[in-house]
Amino acid sequence: MKNLILEVNNITKEVNSPEGLLTIVKDINLTVEQGKPISLVGPSGSGKTTLLAIMAGLDLPTFGTVNLFGSEITNLDEDRRAQIRGQNVGFVFQSFHLMPRLTALDNVMLPLEISGDPFSMEKAQEALEQVGLSKRAKHFATQLSGGEKQRVAIARSIVNKPKILFADEPTGNLDKKSSDSISDLLFSLNEIIQTTLVLVTHDLFLAERCKEVYELSEGQIL
Amino acid sequence: MRRGLIYGLKKFWSEVFSGDLLILFFSIVLAVTSISSVGFLGDRLQSSMQMQASSMLGADLVLRSTSEIDSEFLSTAKTNNLNWAETATFLSMVITEDDNLLTSIKAVTESYPLRGELKIVNFNGIQIQHSGSPPSGKIWIEKKISESLGLNQSDTLSIGNKNFIVEGIIEDYPDRNSSFVGFYPIAIANIVDVEEMGVIQTGSRVVYRKLFSGTQDNLNRFEDSLEAIPANIRLQKAIEVGDNLGEDIANSTTFFNLASLFTIIISVIAAMMAVRRYANRNLLHTSLMKVFGASKSFILGYQIMQLTLMVISASIFGLILGYALQHLLLSTLHGIINLDLPPPSFRPVIIGFTTAAFVVFATAAPYIKILSETEPIRILRNDFSIRLSSNLIIYLVAFITMFGFLGFLFQDIKLILYIVMTLILVTSALYLIGKLLINVLSFIKFSNGTGWKLGLKNIVQRGNDSVLQVIIFGLSLLFLIVLAETRTDLVDSWTETLDEETPNYFLFNIQEYNLKAISDYLEDEAGINPDFTPLIRGRLLSAYRPGSEGVNFDNLMDREANLTWQTDIPRSNTLVDGEWWTNADEVEEVSVDREIAASMNLEIGDELNFSAGGKTFSASVSSFREIEWQSFSPNFFFVLSPAAGRELPNSYITSIKVDDSEKLMNKFITRFPTISAVNLEAIIDQAKSSISSASLAVQYIFLLTLIAGILALIASIYSNRDQRTKETAIMHAIGASRAMIFKSAASEFFILSMLSASTAIIFSTILSSIIFYQFFDLIYTPNLSILALAFFVAISFIFLAGVISIRKSIYASPMITLRDS
Repeated sequence: MKNLILEVNNITKEVNSPEGLLTIVKDINLTVEQGKPISLVGPSGSGKTTLLAIMAGLDLPTFGTVNLFGSEITNLDEDRRAQIRGQNVGFVFQSFHLMPRLTALDNVMLPLEISGDPFSMEKAQEALEQVGLSKRAKHFATQLSGGEKQRVAIARSIVNKPKILFADEPTGNLDKKSSDSISDLLFSLNEIIQTTLVLVTHDLFLAERCKEVYELSEGQIL
Repeated sequence: MRRGLIYGLKKFWSEVFSGDLLILFFSIVLAVTSISSVGFLGDRLQSSMQMQASSMLGADLVLRSTSEIDSEFLSTAKTNNLNWAETATFLSMVITEDDNLLTSIKAVTESYPLRGELKIVNFNGIQIQHSGSPPSGKIWIEKKISESLGLNQSDTLSIGNKNFIVEGIIEDYPDRNSSFVGFYPIAIANIVDVEEMGVIQTGSRVVYRKLFSGTQDNLNRFEDSLEAIPANIRLQKAIEVGDNLGEDIANSTTFFNLASLFTIIISVIAAMMAVRRYANRNLLHTSLMKVFGASKSFILGYQIMQLTLMVISASIFGLILGYALQHLLLSTLHGIINLDLPPPSFRPVIIGFTTAAFVVFATAAPYIKILSETEPIRILRNDFSIRLSSNLIIYLVAFITMFGFLGFLFQDIKLILYIVMTLILVTSALYLIGKLLINVLSFIKFSNGTGWKLGLKNIVQRGNDSVLQVIIFGLSLLFLIVLAETRTDLVDSWTETLDEETPNYFLFNIQEYNLKAISDYLEDEAGINPDFTPLIRGRLLSAYRPGSEGVNFDNLMDREANLTWQTDIPRSNTLVDGEWWTNADEVEEVSVDREIAASMNLEIGDELNFSAGGKTFSASVSSFREIEWQSFSPNFFFVLSPAAGRELPNSYITSIKVDDSEKLMNKFITRFPTISAVNLEAIIDQAKSSISSASLAVQYIFLLTLIAGILALIASIYSNRDQRTKETAIMHAIGASRAMIFKSAASEFFILSMLSASTAIIFSTILSSIIFYQFFDLIYTPNLSILALAFFVAISFIFLAGVISIRKSIYASPMITLRDS
């Protein structure tokens, strides 16, 4: 029997725009099994990031439901969704989104401090070691290279041992060498900490490393 | 919430030192420094004035009469747990074997004085311990008496039938008075010796006083139990005397309050700008926290903790600075306040904390709400800006809250209303001017991109942000300019009261036959042409209101008074009600000092009965005058029309300004030995010193507002610095030269500063005229040099600060700037 951790049912997202009602994603259905990485690919504006945001509970659909770890998160308020994210979900972003006035270690500690973990520092140091940046722990975000920033961001995303990790164009801002290194890191962590990777990417080579690839075009899965 | 509070506690100092909270921190520090320094000062001055007032009376409450006061008041005082003392003051000759001197004898009980210090020394200058009055048979005298009569320690003198042994010299005593006895040297004797002296006969001029002191509650109870005091007894209270004290610094206190009010308003403007930047920069952090599981209450807890710690730390810092500044102000005002002041109460501390909490939460509360409700999806949209419409509502809320708080704090609704109205007017004008600028500029085609044209284009592109900047610059400048003008005119008006021509000598006891000789002498010796004023010794007997019998005139001045008669209104007097006589030789009228008239319940048309020179007469009250007492010219409570006063026996007085005073006046006294000359130079010097002290104190307080103003301007410039930095990097990246970027920023700040400075100057004249007239009784004339200086300094400052704020990004690598942003 399949161990489904995420079910997306008939998701549609519409927004108002100067040109009238705009449909970003339309009637999407997909499922994610535990430990089985998936990728969403497609051209810019195809609705990949919007779908990722809805799947992760960062945004709500206009129609349809999302079931994450048995909870229908589309029926929950923002605080309850935040609670689920805090316990089970990790994120990696294209723009890294590190806090510039915090050190690498402080950035990694952020999710644990929010959940009130008393061992946040030890766990953050461990996560930095896992991404090979323990020596950069006291560096501020502005003092790191692009690849290093993304490593810190990955350490931050796995520090609370999430069951699912959403990554939005994780290599989009990196050169080829850094990009390969970050890809390797993501997939090796996927193995080590048994997290399930949901990847949004333009990079077909990266996408093909996932077990399943969904291609989006004009808001629909092809 | 608890986790958010703990997180806020852990992150506070790193947030402050990261710079985002620094401007907010300093805004609060300035607001608290300003309000607490004025608060500490006011608090201590009030206590001091109370002490001075009590000291002036020698008690908290006094019953005073020219006839003996019934001793039943003493038993009433005892039942109300009050301390009491008695004095009787009269003039008598002090006689030694060789000489005699008219002296004011003050006979006192042992408990005298109840307030203030009675300091007695022996002839070697060593202080004598005493119980309040000399023992029976002994006497204390002022130095003038010992010098005039050649008296030494333990010498004998006599007053009437009683001999006294001189025990000490009076160095200081409270309840000095300015009535008839005030001109003569003082001797203090025990009241039990008065009868034996035998100098008080029927008709003698004696002032009897019963002095009381105690807690305010007991004093109030005592006063209530007095019911009807006979008309010949006057009640004097320290609290009322206190109201008349410290007029020297009354205007500077008003200025302090005004400056403090402006500092808070400007600090709120700076805080609003700082909070806006803080909130914008915190959107990423907040969105991230939301993504990683932070709830709304966590964000609220985090922000509330940060801002509460900010309130506490900035308040403590501000209170320390405020206390230090208050010390500086007090040491500056030392010439005016020469008493050791009591420590301040806890009230300014509470007000300091309240002000800080208000500044922070009025400006930040709406942003906290926005942050706590931030959607985590912003992180994926890279949307980290707060819409201007939200900002406008926030500013409106902040301003309404601010004026509510200021109304409560300053208890001066009139002032607050004037400022609110001006603020609405100026903000609307600045908004319209900003919009007009954008509309005008948007019609201009900027085809070839020279630097300055690019700057103008940027103004249009920033749209409402440019308008907001014009408003913030304009408002900060407005309050600074108004205060700068108020400060300068106030100091000028003080200095003018003591100009070079202020008389430094009073001459009195001048008889009719002396007039020509004195005029000729002063004309020949010093080129002075004195103005002689008739002086009539008289007494106000009664008053009545024609057509309204039974009007209560109980507070009538029951003592001798100096009267004069004049054809024209005296120079340092202003008519405030009624009319000055035109047919002066026909009508028997009197013009009365406005304050005395109010205290005696007088109205225009009342009839006053006087006695003078053995004759009684009545005069109709035809006008009230405001007297400029500090003019050092002869001034009178009652001025008679020539028809009423010309025939009364009188001497003359005059005040003159003598340059080489000592030499000339010594010769004058030798030439006219019967004329009394009083040297006013010491008093004038004291007044000048008071004025320069008050002026310096005003400068210090103004400096505080100036710093707040500079901070507000910097906060406004920095509020969109991130955006400008990013734009600079993009322009750099697409090939714009440094010179071009510099010219673009320079032209932008130049236009914005010129518009806001011009508008602020125009409206400052309106607000200044209101404030001058309503709060300082001054007529406002625009001070062109200050306005011009303010205009150029404001433009230069905004221009330079603006250019400096983006200087770093002009020279930085565009790649690094863009990557970091």
